[in-house]
Amino acid sequence: MAHQAHAYHMVDPSPWPITGATAALLVTSGLAAWFHFNSMILILMGLTLLLLTMYQWWRDIIRESTFQGHHTLPVQKSLRYGMILFITSEVFFFLGFFWAFYHSSLAPTPELGGLWPPTGITPLDPFEVPLLNTAVLLASGITVTWAHHSLMEGQRKEAIQSLFITVLLGLYFTALQATEYYESPFTIADGAYGSTFFVATGFHGLHVIIGSTFLIVCLLRQTQYHFTSNHHFGFEAAAWYWHFVDVVWLFLYVSIYWWGS
Amino acid sequence: ARTWKILSFVVSLPGVGVCMLNARLKMQQRSHDSPEFVTYFHLCIRTKALSWNDGNHTLFHNPHSYLLPTGYEDSGH
Repeated sequence: MAHQAHAYHMVDPSPWPITGATAALLVTSGLAAWFHFNSMILILMGLTLLLLTMYQWWRDIIRESTFQGHHTLPVQKSLRYGMILFITSEVFFFLGFFWAFYHSSLAPTPELGGLWPPTGITPLDPFEVPLLNTAVLLASGITVTWAHHSLMEGQRKEAIQSLFITVLLGLYFTALQATEYYESPFTIADGAYGSTFFVATGFHGLHVIIGSTFLIVCLLRQTQYHFTSNHHFGFEAAAWYWHFVDVVWLFLYVSIYWWGS
Repeated sequence: ARTWKILSFVVSLPGVGVCMLNARLKMQQRSHDSPEFVTYFHLCIRTKALSWNDGNHTLFHNPHSYLLPTGYEDSGH
């Protein structure tokens, strides 16, 4: 009988990496085709393939770990490193947009009126909905920590309850931001202010949606008894990502919403 | 977990409630001041038409609160 003489996971051959790469190619070229040739076929194929890849790849990982037991402690350690490195790369991604914001706002050009916010821009009041958004995300950070502790203590019902509240708060944030976007007196096409505001908050919003989806998947897995009190890395990764999203918002709030008004 | 449960229900959720109230009150007292401003050159940029609809409306366009190059869409202003 052949046994592996190590604690690592040699993954079986899988089509998802190549389908994911193909999806990336289709989405990027499709975006260019949409903008310049008014054709949506490439990007639609790319997005479909991307969703199918994500669903099946992560489904396979759940099968390999929860059902087949391949995620030993060394494997878990590698996954932790991986998630930390990924989140670090995302930090650098946002750093670029903050750079753009500070570049434009610290020395406003004469075209903008030499001041920030530029002439003609009425910024949003940071103490209205943006403050509520801050409270919502901070609250969700506390509830997700409650969920983690419940999970570690084997409190199944409380874990489900707290994770559910966290998801609700995340969805509430998204709904609030959507109404803010709709009610805003300025758009993305309003010069440097509009671009920096909507690109930075827009990518953040996308990350909130991604994080909320991750948490919803964890909630569903928790109801299906996937997690144990000392092995629930999927949940931990989701919680780390959620805290990252919260921290990015705090920087956005202080820089763009508050200082930038 | 009890600590975090208490923190959630005593601090964070009431905090959200207070901010909800605050936001609602502030929105009510904010008068209907529509900035009737001139079309500035550095705003409402249309160097390239947008890829949807008529190319002139951004994704979250709100006819009531946004001034297009051709003026407010909504006759409310």
